[in-house]
Amino acid sequence: MDFEPSLDRIVGTARVPDEATTTPPVPVKIIVAGGFGVGKTTTVGAISEISPLTTEAEMTLESVGVDNPGAVSSKTTTTIAMDFGCVTIDRTLKLYLFGTPGQSRFAFMWDDLIRGALGALVVVDTNRIDDCYPAVDYFERAGLPFVVGINTFNGQLGYQLDEVRWALAVREDVPVLAFDARFRGSVRDALLVVLDQALDRAINLNSQ
Amino acid sequence: MRFPPDPDDPEHPAPGVRPFLQQGMSSAGPYRPPPHHEAADAPTPGDQTTALRPFVITSGRVDGPDPEIGMETQVTVHPGAAPARLPPEKRAIVALCVEPLSVAEISARLKMHLGVTRILVGDLRAAGQLDVHVLDNDFPDPETILRVIRGLRAIP
Repeated sequence: MDFEPSLDRIVGTARVPDEATTTPPVPVKIIVAGGFGVGKTTTVGAISEISPLTTEAEMTLESVGVDNPGAVSSKTTTTIAMDFGCVTIDRTLKLYLFGTPGQSRFAFMWDDLIRGALGALVVVDTNRIDDCYPAVDYFERAGLPFVVGINTFNGQLGYQLDEVRWALAVREDVPVLAFDARFRGSVRDALLVVLDQALDRAINLNSQ
Repeated sequence: MRFPPDPDDPEHPAPGVRPFLQQGMSSAGPYRPPPHHEAADAPTPGDQTTALRPFVITSGRVDGPDPEIGMETQVTVHPGAAPARLPPEKRAIVALCVEPLSVAEISARLKMHLGVTRILVGDLRAAGQLDVHVLDNDFPDPETILRVIRGLRAIP
């Protein structure tokens, strides 16, 4: 009979953790970005082994395109909800997915968030394509590998991928693909494209 | 004959009475949390996760936490940490971290603001209660990425 010490039997925190629990997995992360309601949480939930958790964080917003009231600082902070999930690759490696909103009209400061990130999947709803501009702009400037994923809500894509690429005006080397946020396999394939970009960048960094 | 207004009468406060006493007991009563606004899809600035203001929990610190402590950074209990008397929020964090946990998971499970969580985790690390496993390299190496790719491909 297998014996596994159950967590219920541990009282307090005086337990001396054994070797397996003291060596935590190496965390890697992918950012899932996009406007409100484009399917970020669905994307995270489709592949995560835990149901998506929510945390609240401060973000510094720099208002852009809004009348500047003069001497008053244009920076404000706002509290946003972030959904995240994870996939255990093996005992020593764990992939985290963070879904973050990108409000239009705001360029946002994601420096903390993208620190150490492998790349990003920008989720796009073709009905509201504008919503993803801030995220695309930000990742381009930050030099983070990213992929534009068009969420085909009902399995149908209303536009050709080329049309969407043209509307977004992303660089040639940025993949634009269609996926369905509801299906694990579809999300997995989209993430694999992100990882492909991340691998290219890592190899380039290493060879320099 | 007219009497001067009674300074204790809330209806006719004397000019010298401090403003917070002028409204009677309602303004000088104990702290009441602000009414909770439901159905806010996009959180409005000022919404709080906890009844206590975050800076109360962080002992007044509002400056940024240690940038080394990211959302995915793994945290574990420091083996053989000296017993210490901790405030409830920190005790809850230590209790959770008997198994490796990311800062984001701690924040979500305790319904504690992410910024507050990061500050408290930094405190507990400095106090020798927690081990914070900061990665050496800022960007994962190709071998790690290949392992993630293989791991994801294995997902049915």
